[in-house]
Order: sequence, then C-alpha cells, then structure tokens
Amino acid sequence: MSSAIRRAAVFIFAASLVIALGLAARLSPGSADVDDASLTGVVLVDPVPKPAFTLDDTEGQPFQFLERTEGKLTLLFFGYTHCPDVCPVHMANLAAVLNDLSLETRERIEVVFVTADPERDTPERIREWLNAFDRRFIGLRGSVDDVNAILAELQLGQIVHGEPGADGDYVVGHPAQILAFTPDGLLRAMYPFGTRQTDWAQDLPRLLRFTPDASLGVRASSGGQES
Amino acid sequence: MQWWCAALGEAWEWTWRPYPGVWVFVALCIAAYVLMLRRTPVPAGESRDLGARAAAFGAAVACLWLVLDWPVGALGAGYLASVHMVQFLVIVLAVPPLLLYGVPAQAYRRLPPRVIAALRPLTHPVVALLLSNLIAFITHVPLVADRLLASQLGSFAIDVAWLAAGLLFWWPVVAPVPERPWFHGLTRIGYLGAQVIASKPLFIYLTFAKYPRYATYELAPRITNLLTARADQQAAGLLMEVGGMLILLFAAGILFLRSTSREEALGRGRPVSRR
Repeated sequence: MSSAIRRAAVFIFAASLVIALGLAARLSPGSADVDDASLTGVVLVDPVPKPAFTLDDTEGQPFQFLERTEGKLTLLFFGYTHCPDVCPVHMANLAAVLNDLSLETRERIEVVFVTADPERDTPERIREWLNAFDRRFIGLRGSVDDVNAILAELQLGQIVHGEPGADGDYVVGHPAQILAFTPDGLLRAMYPFGTRQTDWAQDLPRLLRFTPDASLGVRASSGGQES
Repeated sequence: MQWWCAALGEAWEWTWRPYPGVWVFVALCIAAYVLMLRRTPVPAGESRDLGARAAAFGAAVACLWLVLDWPVGALGAGYLASVHMVQFLVIVLAVPPLLLYGVPAQAYRRLPPRVIAALRPLTHPVVALLLSNLIAFITHVPLVADRLLASQLGSFAIDVAWLAAGLLFWWPVVAPVPERPWFHGLTRIGYLGAQVIASKPLFIYLTFAKYPRYATYELAPRITNLLTARADQQAAGLLMEVGGMLILLFAAGILFLRSTSREEALGRGRPVSRR
C-alpha cells in the first residue's frame, strides 16, 4: 500500500470514528440527557387548573373528568378517529412509551381522548380506534358545543368542520397538542404535533413529580423517583 | 408535483404520482451507456459477452428505477424506514455491481490516464470500504437523514450519495482498472466479508434502539396500525443485516466459482506432472 493510500485510509478511518462517536452519541434522539431538568413540551408560565366537565365515555356512562382523573398525570387530547395524520401518530407514539413504563408508573397516568367529531365518532368506533393503541385509553364524546366550551375554558382554538368532499369525507380542525395535567391538577405543559417518543420518555417521569404535596417546580423536585 | 420523492407529511394514498426527475435520471443513465458503447470499439473476439453486459446494465437501471420511483421511492422517502432500507440495499449493494459489470472492459481501458490515476487511491479496497461505509453512516445519522429527506433535493442527494458509495465499494471487485494483481479471488471474498462486519454498527444502531431514531418515519402518517414506528425501524435493521448478507454471499459465491473455474482453466493449460 502506498503512503498516499495509507494516509487516505487512516484519515477516513479516523473521520469515521470521530463522526460515529460524536454524532451517534450526541445527535441521536435515543441518547437524550435524562438528567436535564427542563421539559421538552411547551411549558406554561401560568399553569391552568384542570377543568371540571362531564362527557360520556365509550360505555355511554358519564365521565366526570376532574374527579376521575384526580391525583393522576392526565394527558388530554382533542381529536377524531378519521384523522389521517396527527391524531393516530400522537396516540401511537404516546402508547409506545407508556407501554415501556412499569405497571406502577403506568397506573399513575391517564390518557383521555375527546372526540372533535361526534357525528362520525360513535362510542364503538372510538373504543375500537383507541384499542388499536392502548385499551386503557379513555374515550369521551359530547356535542361539538360541549367540547368547544371545554376548549374555550382551556383557551384553545375551537373545532372547525371542513366541507365534505365528493365521498362525504371531511376533515376536522382541532387543537393538535396533547395537554399534560400534572397530578396536582394543573395544566403545566402542552405537547404539539412533532413530539417524539424520546420526548415523552423523558418528560413523563418528570411530570409525575408534580404531586399535590410536593414542593412545585421541575428543578426543585428533580431528585424524585423515576420509573 | 414533485420531481423527486421526498417526505411530504401527508397521509399515504395508493394513487400513482409522477416523479419526472427519476425518469430523467434513468434516461440519462441509459443515454450515457448507449453513447459509451458507440464510442467504444469492441474487438471481434470480445463482442460475445456484450449482450450479457448490456443485460446487466439494463437490470441495474430497471432496479434503480423501481426503487426511486413511486411507490417504493415515495414510501421510502417519507413513510417507512423498512422501505428506505430496501432502497439502500438495492442502490448500494445490488445496482452498482451490475452497472460496473455492464461496462465493457474496453471502455475501462479507454479511460484517460489521469482518471485512472485519480481512481487509484479512491478505489483502493481499504479506502473504498471505509469511504463507502462512511457515506452510508453519514446518510443514516438521524439529524442528517431527517433534514435531507424533507426536501426533494436532499432526498436526491441521499440517493446519489448511496449510488456513489455503492460504485466505490464495488469498483475494486468488479471494475478491471486500475489493475491490482494481488486483489483476486479469495482476497475479494475477504473484502466482501469485511463489509459484513462494517455494516454491523448501523444494524445494531437501528435494530436495538429503544425508540425510533428518525423523526421522518416516527411522525409520518401511519400506513397501517399493524406496523409501529419502532417495529418498522427494527424491520429496517433486520433487512439491512439479512438482505445485505444475502447479496454479499451471492456475490462471494460468484467470485468463488469464477476463481475456481479460472484455476481449473489454468490447470488444464499446464503440463501434468507424472510421478
């Protein structure tokens, strides 16, 4: 091997090694620094109290949101089962991460899906759709006016139904973020579309630390238990 | 209309879409080949294998078209990591040896000395192996892949980089220039074996990741709920391992057969010693 080729080989090998170690360790989403106290979601400067509303669950029974989710990390999402992109991706990514948590931690989290399209989303359809992600996800249904009232209370955009196409299908405009109510009953962070599984894996244990009796503040409680 | 397949972020539809950039690319490959054949005089004795070489080139271009155009190209660019891996395997491991074999030996011999001199260090087996794997690695770094796949130009750059990596990797094995008498049968098989080892880090990186590596595929509208983003990525890693291994084993088998038949031919030509 000539010296020029040897030099080139050594250079490429060294470059490969540097890039492999540097990029794989720092740029890959799987290697986030879990000790970083900041949440990846959009943190609210002034947390909003959890709203008290009642809608029907997929069994047709009234579900008192405030009471039934008390003391739990509650992830609330407004969407619809015919959604072609945002809703199924959000639900799938959340389900994938929840599935990795210990049973004890998982039981401290509720995922509540409120349909923004009650016309097409029957209780059965909602149940079937949610079961594809996680059978423990709670599905709620109410009139568009009821849901818009909840959205207004949370200072979120209203539901907008698009014009039906030739096949009768239509899209529904709805808030695309998942709302995270910490166990102390406050909406502290929102997770827009684009939130990755690594983001959830990082944030869920931190969100669980906001218990009613804990001294609040992410950094102050960073020494708590993590699943 | 898009000219090259890129991640759209739209729900997938089984409705055909035209990608004229792919057609132009394929047409340019064919035109360049035809032009090269016309300009390369083939000695009468060596014209017999021209049909096989043209068939190999045709197969390579057909494979290239298949993986770059709709639906494979579109699925790989924006929806499924596993399909993206199929593209990778075909573009890097299957197409280049056929392309290189498709070029007649006379055409290689007609390369200007300057080009051969420039190719000598680049196509040295050690350099080619490292450089092609470096390209493969860089194009699989999530930050790079996610950014490039989001645009048509970026997606085109990935495909061209893969083709270049594949040509670089296969050149020492298939192309007759520059001549390296020491790089024959078994050494070439060893070279392919080294590639099996070189691809292992990427395989591990994809297959054993706890969460999806690429935002493009994780956040893409799902084509089916049966395949989660993580399972899709694991499938990509396994495809890389198994598919890559099979292609390299096939190539090693051909090299072995050619090597033994060459030795037999040489043996027949030698006088047989009698004890």
